[in-house]
Parts: sequence; structure tokens; C-alpha cells
Amino acid sequence: MKGWSIVKNGLTWFVVAVALAFFLLPVVWILITSFKAQGEVFHYPPIFWPKNIDFRHFSSVLQGPGGHALKASLIVASANTMLSLLVGVPTAYSLSRFAVGGKHLAFWILSIRMFPPVASAVPLFLLFQKYHLLDTYWALIIAYLTFNVPFVVWFVKGFFDDLPRDLEEAALVDGATRWRAFTGIALRLAVPGIVTSALLAFVFSWNEFLLALFLTRSQVRTLPVALANLVGGHEIQWGEIGALTVIAIVPVVALALVLQRYVVRGLTFGAVKG
Amino acid sequence: MAQAREQDTAAGLAARVPRSRPPFFAWLMVLPAVAVLLAVTVYPLIYSLRESFYRLELSFSPVAHWVGLQNYVDAFTKDPRFWPAMGRSFYLVGFGVLIELVLGLGLALVLNRLGRARTIVTALLLVPVMIAPVAVAIEGVVIFNNSWGPLNYLLSEIGISGPIWLGDRSVALNSILLADVWQWTPFVAIILAAGLRTLPEEQYEAAEIDGATRWRLFTTMTLPLLQPLIIVTVLIRAMDIFKTFDTIYVMTGGGPGSSTETASFYTYLQGLQFFSFGYAAAISYIQLIVITVVATLLVRRMRKGLG
Repeated sequence: MKGWSIVKNGLTWFVVAVALAFFLLPVVWILITSFKAQGEVFHYPPIFWPKNIDFRHFSSVLQGPGGHALKASLIVASANTMLSLLVGVPTAYSLSRFAVGGKHLAFWILSIRMFPPVASAVPLFLLFQKYHLLDTYWALIIAYLTFNVPFVVWFVKGFFDDLPRDLEEAALVDGATRWRAFTGIALRLAVPGIVTSALLAFVFSWNEFLLALFLTRSQVRTLPVALANLVGGHEIQWGEIGALTVIAIVPVVALALVLQRYVVRGLTFGAVKG
Repeated sequence: MAQAREQDTAAGLAARVPRSRPPFFAWLMVLPAVAVLLAVTVYPLIYSLRESFYRLELSFSPVAHWVGLQNYVDAFTKDPRFWPAMGRSFYLVGFGVLIELVLGLGLALVLNRLGRARTIVTALLLVPVMIAPVAVAIEGVVIFNNSWGPLNYLLSEIGISGPIWLGDRSVALNSILLADVWQWTPFVAIILAAGLRTLPEEQYEAAEIDGATRWRLFTTMTLPLLQPLIIVTVLIRAMDIFKTFDTIYVMTGGGPGSSTETASFYTYLQGLQFFSFGYAAAISYIQLIVITVVATLLVRRMRKGLG
């Protein structure tokens, strides 16, 4: 019996090792590519470890299109995240404490999260054209509210639902206004949830591609659009593309490791608490 | 822990609704979000519905003509590219969901056999899930490359002559599928692993004492108990795969030929490449209907809770 369990454990670890290799090696390969000289990229058989590890592609891509893209992505994702929190958190509180609009309002907001971006891309393009917002930061900051406001509302509502109401009720009895009870007590207690929602909302904006492709051209180019352009260009610089891809995924990977248990909750509209 | 969010179910909400009506203050708090969502989703929707009744071809003329339902009629009867594109979307949804579910369930069972290491393995598995689909696509372009990519080299080392992953009409759509499976199988696995951990252990012990085999336990207890969670996962994945765009844009651009042209990619072509905004609006509405059907099923499930 004991021998059998050793075999089973060995098998478990074998499957885990194969899975980790399958799911992580492509990411590692991009990292390796970012260090390669152009000649090494096209070498056959492929070079699995480049001769020199240096960061020249990182500096050259950041001096080129990558720098602008990094700046644009940071501006769009931060501004959109702040706006989403600003309108989303009070809504989350109201839905949690007062069930405003009954279940209909809450689920209407949830259904907007599932909206296909390609369906809003064409009308937003036409609207932004009318108001001269195409190819501006505002175009994306506004467009990304479509998915991040519903996300923040549902995610933070879950946290408010888990907070006891007693403290707020006691404060109200003591003569605090409802606004004071919200900002002074509930908001403070929900800070971990709000920060987590901010980080995930940031990632969703940071990764978005389709709306950025429709709504921006040359003035504003976020990282995903800049990457797609580099791949589609002439004389493709794979080292630089690798470097810019690494820049685009490093913050997200760091967050994945930190936020582990909240990611699943965030990606399933709160249906599954990871 | 995967558990029913009791507060969010219809019965749960009703129980929590205060006796008195919500104060004015409560309405004030939801007002900005409702206004924003109306402005960025409902207004554009109405606008694009109007648009879909016009022929608006910016490459010919900025003047739109009223054509009634003609754009929809064209999509259903005249356009030789629309239905094949829808077909490819459904192909990706069908096989993507199936493969991710089977692999994800297997991986979930293995994950739960790990002790303390489960946390770190789970965190590492989240890396593909979290990174931008465009980054996934770039990995695809590099790894699938026919002349210098590592995948076909490794295959040739074990005596397999790899296909032209992105350049062969009969293979390219499956390469897109593979990229989706790579990115999202861990997501399915982690959800199902969380679900598996909530299953009642006593019942299993009792059944094992009664002499039930592992396989029988799996099919008669595990799967039925896990069913609500599996349905939610399937619906979420189906919706997202139907929207797939980024990987196609970067990896194949809809080609070779039109072999990877899905509904969402074709809408992009009609809108941003051919500038037929009226027609693009009409076909995006058809896709919206498909998504709405799936989303309605999902929301209904979530209202009932996962228990």
C-alpha cells in the first residue's frame, strides 16, 4: 500500500511539472527572446540560451515606440481605474446596504460587464468622432468604463456584504450622517477590497486591445497596440518586441502572484470565491 | 472556497432589503455609475441600432442612406463571408470549451492532491490567465514560427514534422484555439479545484466503505455536485471565446485566406478596414444577440446561486 502511494505522489508531481512547463515555458521563451541579438533569433536550431544577457533591447524599445506606449498605458489605466472607483465604490455600498433598485439594478450592471467590446467599438468610434475624442487619452479612459465600472461595483459589493453593519448603525444612532458612516467606517474597513479591485481594474485596462485599436491612431498608442504594430511592421525587431512584451507582462505577473486568491473571484464576476 | 454567494441570490437579496424604502442618499450614490453606464453603453447601443438601418460607407461617401433592414437581410442571405465567420466562432467556442473543461478538470484533481505547494503552483498557473492576450499572441507568433520557432524544432527532435502552424489554411484556426487553451485552461482548473474542495468528504468516505470504485464516485458524486459550477464556467468561457479578437489580429490577421476570420474579426474588417459602418453595426448586433442569450443563462444561474 505504501509503495502505491509513492507511485501516486510521483505521478501527481510529474503531471504538475508537465503542466507548469507547458504553461510557463512560452513566457520564459519571450524573456529569452528579449535578450537575443537579431541574428540569434533567426538561428536554427533555436538558441535556448543567448550568449550575452544584456538589456539593450529594453533601452532601445523604450527610446522608440515603447516609451510612448508605456506612458499611454500608464495614463489610461490609472485614470480609468480612479474614475471607475469614484463612481463604482459608492454604488457598491448602496447596492450592498440598501439594495437600491432591488436585484434588477445589480444584475443590469453585471450584464454590462459581459458586453462584447466589438459591439460597442463601432458606435463609440462614431460617437467619439462626432465629439472629436478619437485618438485621445479620454477616448480610452471613457471607453474602458464599460467594463471596469461594473467590475468594481460587483467586486467591492462583495466586500461590503461581508462587513458587519453594526458599526455603521451605531454611528448613525450616535448622530453621524449617512455620508459619515460611509466614509468614516465602511470605506475604511473595505480598503483591502477596494485596493484589490483597483489593481485588477488596472490590469483589465492595461491589457485591453480591441477598443484601443478602434479608438486611437497615432497620438495615443497603448502597449498592446504598440506591440501589434511592431509585429506587423517591416524588418521585425524580435528582440525589441520581446523586451516590450516583457515590460507589458511583468507588472501583471507580479500582481498574479500577490493577488492569487482574488483573481478568480474577479474573473468570475464574484460567482466563485477563489 | 467556491460557494453560493447567498446575498446575491434573489431570495438572499429579498431577505436583506430593509423594510423601509432605500433613503434618498442611497439613490444619490448609484446615480453617477448609472449615468456613466447609460452614457457609455446604452446610448451607443441605441445609436448603433439606428446606424444599422443605414448604408454608411465612409470610403464612398459621408452621406448615410436609410435602407431599413437591408443590412440584416444582406448578412443572412447575400454575404458569403458572414456565416462562415460565425461558424468559425462557434468552432472555437465548442472545441475551446470542451478541451479546457476536460484538461481543466484533470488538472484540478491533480492540484488538490498537492499539499502546501498548491498555493504556489496555483499562483504560477495564473500567469497565462492574467497577461494580455496580445502578449499571448506574440508568444504564439514566435513559438509557432515555421523556420526558427522552438516548437517545430522540438517536434523534429522527436521525429515529428510539425505543421505550418499559422500559414496553413487547415491548421491556423487550431493554432488560435491552442493559444486560447493555453491561456484559459489554468483558469478553469483553478475554479474547479476550488469547487472540488467544497465537496462533502463524509459522503465520499461512506460511499468508499460501501465499496464504490473511484470512477463510480467521480461520475455519480463528483460530477453532479460540481455541475452548477461547471455550467457557470462553461458559460463564462463560451462568452469570452466568442469575443476572441486580439490573438487572431496579431497571429494570423484572419488569414491565410479567410481561414481564421471569426465573427468579431469580420466585424472589425467591415468597420475599420472597409468603413462600412452601417453593415458593421448590423452584424455586431447579431453577435450581441448571441452573447445576450449566453449572458442571460449565466445571470439566471448566478441569481439562483451556485449551491
